[in-house]
Amino acid sequence: MGQVMESKEVAEQQEFIFPQGLAGFGDAHRFGFIYEGKGDMICMQSLDTPEAAFILTPWDEQRLGAKPELSAEQKGCLHLTDDAKQDCPIMWMLVLNPFADREWVTANVRAPIALHVNAGRGIQCIRHDASLALRYRWMPQPSTV
Amino acid sequence: MMVLRRKIGEAIRINDDIRIVIQDIQGGHSVRFAIDAPANVAVHRLEVYSIIEQENRAANQGDALTWLKGGK
Repeated sequence: MGQVMESKEVAEQQEFIFPQGLAGFGDAHRFGFIYEGKGDMICMQSLDTPEAAFILTPWDEQRLGAKPELSAEQKGCLHLTDDAKQDCPIMWMLVLNPFADREWVTANVRAPIALHVNAGRGIQCIRHDASLALRYRWMPQPSTV
Repeated sequence: MMVLRRKIGEAIRINDDIRIVIQDIQGGHSVRFAIDAPANVAVHRLEVYSIIEQENRAANQGDALTWLKGGK
């Protein structure tokens, strides 16, 4: 069973390698996904560091504009070649933070996750533009709706 | 902490696969580096990395799976 996100699907049993880990979780290189039937939100669980688990949701172009561009280094990390780009699109995800604000679930637009589904590789793309929101108000807390 | 003195165009090697070249020094207070590192090595400005590290920890301070299941 998987969760359909954009036009791609991440199988729950699929393992993703994050060669760089995540900021603050440098030892967490292997992640799996757990879907709990909550819309387009999915849990990304570290298979190396049990306490490292994040809620992700797909990048929304209507709200945020175009998806970020990958640098040559980031493409290399994802094993993404220019030839493969058309057949193997990158799935862009946002890390949600449901714990920082009582009224809002926030999304980190400044450091989205790029997943190369076919290669099973991922990277957190830290963007240097300070105007990008760390805590974009993504949706009201379910308990306040 | 190790401290090395380098001139413009000179480099520092870390292990076999990381090379840092001093490209420019502006006004005696700003240094421009070129960094050559493998794809699995994350290279970021410290202050930017620290902000993202902090936010990742904040997003991880509760149980994500429990929250998704409808708990707190």
